[in-house]
Amino acid sequence: MSGISADAMNTNARRIPSRTVPVALAIALATGPVWPQSDDSKASGAAPARSWVKMNVELPTGQVTFPPGNGAAIANAQCLICHSAEMVLLQPALTQDEWTAVINKMRSAFGALLPPDQVEPLAGYLHGINGR
Amino acid sequence: MRDLRGGPWFPIGHPGHRGTPFRPSRRRLLAHAGRIGLSGLLGAPAWNVRAATLVELRFANGRRELVTNFPQKGAMLLLRTRPALLETPFEVFDQSVFTPNDRFYVRWHLADIPEVIDPGTFRLNIGGHVRQAVSLTLDDLVRGFEPFEIAAVNQCSGNSRGFFSPRVAGGQWSNGAMGNARWTGVRLRDVLDRAGVKAGALQVRFNGLDTGVLPQTPNFMKSLAVDHARDGEVMIAYAMNGERLPLLNGYPLRMVVPGWYATYWVKMLSDVTVLDKPDDNYWMAKAYLIPDTPFADISPGQKGVRTVPINRMVPRSFFSNIQDGAVLKTGQTTTVRGIAFGGDAGLKEVLFSSDAGSSWQPVRLGADHGKYGFRQWEAPWRPSSQGPHKLMVKASNTAGIAQPDHANWNGGGYMRNVIESVSVQAT
Repeated sequence: MSGISADAMNTNARRIPSRTVPVALAIALATGPVWPQSDDSKASGAAPARSWVKMNVELPTGQVTFPPGNGAAIANAQCLICHSAEMVLLQPALTQDEWTAVINKMRSAFGALLPPDQVEPLAGYLHGINGR
Repeated sequence: MRDLRGGPWFPIGHPGHRGTPFRPSRRRLLAHAGRIGLSGLLGAPAWNVRAATLVELRFANGRRELVTNFPQKGAMLLLRTRPALLETPFEVFDQSVFTPNDRFYVRWHLADIPEVIDPGTFRLNIGGHVRQAVSLTLDDLVRGFEPFEIAAVNQCSGNSRGFFSPRVAGGQWSNGAMGNARWTGVRLRDVLDRAGVKAGALQVRFNGLDTGVLPQTPNFMKSLAVDHARDGEVMIAYAMNGERLPLLNGYPLRMVVPGWYATYWVKMLSDVTVLDKPDDNYWMAKAYLIPDTPFADISPGQKGVRTVPINRMVPRSFFSNIQDGAVLKTGQTTTVRGIAFGGDAGLKEVLFSSDAGSSWQPVRLGADHGKYGFRQWEAPWRPSSQGPHKLMVKASNTAGIAQPDHANWNGGGYMRNVIESVSVQAT
């Protein structure tokens, strides 16, 4: 959490009334439903800051690689250019035709560099590790 | 604010449950989670072994790692590291109707996301079919426009895709690709008026700082009809729940389109372009299309269906303190509760059934923070007989749309809003 911080609650864009509740009303409310916490304890605090801080974070890149197998080298070389592996591995089991359609969408819609002659081996590999 | 990274939370009927239904305890869930090696994760052998906390979502291949290594984020369910897809663990929705920023789900399309944002040099550019292009600093936005604030649910078009039957490819979310926040910023209308929309304007297109890794990958841009963009509710947010947006939720600015799916809520908003012809970019013309049918519902394999860009949200309601498999005592009253929202219209009614939908009773609704936000609901229930019971909840909105009793299906896995149910046992 180091990239952002402290000035986040600095005054003044807009005053939102505090949630001070008169005692009698508080007692009356207490007899009604008691939600797990006050619905707006966080959201209705001070208005957001007028000053800004420089954002500087580091996004994880993903360590997972594709499981070994005939075609894993294609997957590791091509798929990981644009995205990490988890979402591929977390798909439902797909038919080889469905995997082929996914790969072709990556090529035609998103410009994946995968050569045409690698489509079938890659589809076969993905079907092998997560197929139906 | 309770520390959401505290101990485990357990739903009603779980052996770990402590406290009353209303104040379930200060502990927090890892339902079905354990600390085990990663050898089982992703259904895979131990080629990527490390210790991990795992959560089982309720569909095949639904094992997810609960991760804490993303900046400004607490524990989240990992669907993809790069570009990030992070799901909110569902127990978070039992804590408050406002989803904490550090637990708010994350969904990016393109992996080249700036990690450094300098607010001194950042500019929001308004251009296209306008009288005079305008370039605004963040301070210009905060000081130069009337502040506007609204509570609204941000829900991924594909929230709950993992429950589609038959399954479809795409982000395999459970129900946690949504969140509710109080958004503060400026009305898009006011910003457009600063530039002056010219006659003949058709749409307004939004672009953010994220880009694809490859130059040929289509830039992620979305558009709204100009009248919608100028409706006085569509806004540019510079704060979320009273704080700056986390980078992964769009710092410093994001679009807020109340009542519409999150695909239009462009993050790291940098360019607003007024168009005098329909936006034919990939993300409007080819992606995020739904069948033009009620609830975007077709039969699997159905062909020749007219499609339209996804648009308004539909009502949904969920249980938040009870899950499938809960065990309750016969004759003892339990308070069942959850959250609901109306989609693009306010909630009209939320109904609860304890007999698999044969009969329905109204629930008690919690505070109303505006028609686009979550509301909590609760209903007392006393099992009168031993054995299995099926509990259901359904919402309807003021536009007359109610949750359907059969699940929709479309090839994109969009817009699921079937009536939710949980199966429990009374002993």
